Amino acid sequence: MKKIFYTCPYVPAEWIEAHSLKPARVTPNTAGSATAVIQREGVCPYARSFINELITEKGADGIIVTTVCDQMRRGFDILARRCDVPVFLMNVPNTWQNVGVQKLYIDELRRLGKFLIDLGGKPPSDENLANIMLAYDTARASIRAARGYLPAGKFAEMIAAFGRDGPGEEFTSIKKHELLIEGVPLAIVGGPLMRRDFDILDIAEQAGGRIVLDAAETGERGMCAPFDRRRLRDEPLMELARAYFGGIQDASRRPNSELYKWLKSKLIHREVRGIIFHRYVWCDMWHAELRRLKDWTDLPVLDVDTTGDNETHRHRTANRIHAFLEMLK
Amino acid sequence: MPERITLEEWDLRYERLQRTGLSQPHYGGPLSRHIEDGDQRLLKLRYDNSAAALRLWNFLLTEEDRLRDARAKGKKLIGTMKDLGTVPVMAYSFDNVTAFYPDGAWWIPCVMELSAGLLSIADSLGIDESFCPVRAMLGAFLTEAHFPVPDMLICSVGATCDDFSAIAQRLNGLGYPILWWEIPHRRKPGPDEPVVSLPGGFTAPKCQVEFVKSELEHINTALEELAGAKLDEEKLSAGIKEANRVRRYLAELRELAFTAELCPLPALEMLIAEMLAIHFCSDRRETIGVLKELLDEVKARVRAGIGVLDAGAVKIFWVNPVADLYVMNMLEDCGGRICGTEYLFTHALDLIPEDLPALEALARMALADPMVGSSADRAERICTDIRRFGSEAVIISRIPGASHCALEGEVIGEIVQENFDIPVLEIEVPPVTDSMRPTVRTRLEALVETIKARRKR
Repeated sequence: MKKIFYTCPYVPAEWIEAHSLKPARVTPNTAGSATAVIQREGVCPYARSFINELITEKGADGIIVTTVCDQMRRGFDILARRCDVPVFLMNVPNTWQNVGVQKLYIDELRRLGKFLIDLGGKPPSDENLANIMLAYDTARASIRAARGYLPAGKFAEMIAAFGRDGPGEEFTSIKKHELLIEGVPLAIVGGPLMRRDFDILDIAEQAGGRIVLDAAETGERGMCAPFDRRRLRDEPLMELARAYFGGIQDASRRPNSELYKWLKSKLIHREVRGIIFHRYVWCDMWHAELRRLKDWTDLPVLDVDTTGDNETHRHRTANRIHAFLEMLK
Repeated sequence: MPERITLEEWDLRYERLQRTGLSQPHYGGPLSRHIEDGDQRLLKLRYDNSAAALRLWNFLLTEEDRLRDARAKGKKLIGTMKDLGTVPVMAYSFDNVTAFYPDGAWWIPCVMELSAGLLSIADSLGIDESFCPVRAMLGAFLTEAHFPVPDMLICSVGATCDDFSAIAQRLNGLGYPILWWEIPHRRKPGPDEPVVSLPGGFTAPKCQVEFVKSELEHINTALEELAGAKLDEEKLSAGIKEANRVRRYLAELRELAFTAELCPLPALEMLIAEMLAIHFCSDRRETIGVLKELLDEVKARVRAGIGVLDAGAVKIFWVNPVADLYVMNMLEDCGGRICGTEYLFTHALDLIPEDLPALEALARMALADPMVGSSADRAERICTDIRRFGSEAVIISRIPGASHCALEGEVIGEIVQENFDIPVLEIEVPPVTDSMRPTVRTRLEALVETIKARRKR
């Protein structure tokens, strides 16, 4: 089955699979600036890593990039020039409050469908799409339910594996151990994490914290809302769009007030006592939220900025997280 | 004779011009008086010595007074953000609305040589130097010292740079309401999609034009509510015609300035003249007057075969506006002249179609924004203009921290060099270049020398 690579959470894997193609959400491993194709100052390490991995990736039959952030949007230009495989740029609106932009998102899904068909995909029937959505929804529910029973690093890896491989047996029968991790309840908030940076979650837990909310883009914040099972049968594409476009709250939204509503509800419900705010250098969208978040919440916020490829930064990050936890304990 | 002169020299010239009966608008006066407002950078610049340039500079440097005057007269002030040219055409179609770009605050740190403290305020709000200098806008809002707080803020997002979007959101988070509108990434039409031609030569699928038109309809409604008046087709069409008057003057000015054998107008004045297109410096009628006088001056110089630079000046195509105005002077000091520009707002220079329903024409214009499409599209347009103006090199001026500058330079540079055997230089220009002046100057000199050497081949 042909593989379609992407990283943005607003790309519905179900839509790709319904076209009989294999969706694979990429969680890049490292910015690897020493070997990266893109060696320019100012490039967000995550965008650089994504571009670099796909330029060197041999297994992709198609690539989807979105317009959610400017650097990724411009990354499309690089990929389109450097990759041998077809690249699709999906317009994901930043605004969300009027029907016109919601329709734009749906139209973009339809346009994506044509791209997928051009790659050899098959037009999906509503029934097929609904069945696939059901399978994904069930797996996501299972992953969400496992959250309190897994170390945060493992939980993030599970979400990444789900994005890469899609729903499978391993996600519907997750072994739930008795929760061993105790500690200060923490949230991690920010954009996506590269795989190598999942260890930030482990560091926090080793230092006496417990990540009860992974609000990174690669964590539960980047998972679409649960599907309404009735609407899923009646109008699956509309329900897909609602759950993704309306269900994922992000700093890039304008206004992004819903992100703060979402955070407020989660922070209260999970009794969070401190926030690790993670951002990659040159990520303006999240960087600009840091001070606002600090002003908005009474909780202590630790700013962790990383480059995704620097060992010194890793030690610094570990030390800062340890100090943060010492303060909270 | 036309020449570039210092501020001090301008004072002497001003006295001479006055003695010979210089006619000035109400905002006229010696340029050096603006130093009292803290515009220290003016002391370091060199200016065109014409009365037309004097009027241009005085017009630019008195915008704040005009805005406060407009408010005092009961006009509604609109802060249009990021779209660089579209919404002001609508706003100025009302009798009682004045629109301006708070984004323009990005030049305050340069003009006031960092003395205004705007960047420090932005720092204190968490918007540090990793962002584009447009962050100065935050400080300008908080101090209210550089423009009055508008009655309404309208900001385009979507296919825009992250810096601006993030900074505008920060502003919104501080309690300034913003009417957001979506500008989608301009894409090539699919094989089965109806195609629409855009000003400037781009194309877009019809559905994108319709979408943008629907977004502009929302803005129209909001403007009507604020102004307490309807903006009908007739009024908006008249507004477009006036905007096109500005654009026609600029087109002629650019053609002459970039193709005349001797450069008839310095790069700095040309940059400022081009900028007038985006929101008419808060007075559309006066913009037309300023540009007409400037054009008359340039025409006279071209007819007389005189200019401000040497005949052998190297023809440079300049990409992106400079955060430090002084660098435009520096290029000319190094032996270059501007022959072609792409300052991020070519859509504000292209004629708006007058044979279409007005909002559709504006939607087409908005989608023609070079920043809304791909860097490859932008590069193609740059290539078209390089051919037209005979540019011998391209300088891509990076804006510090700007998200688009991280990757676009590579694509633009590659495409230019695929099409032409000319050098491409990328430099970064901060708001005040003094500390890195030798570096920038050396690079510009090296470029000019390289081209002069190539001419001899």
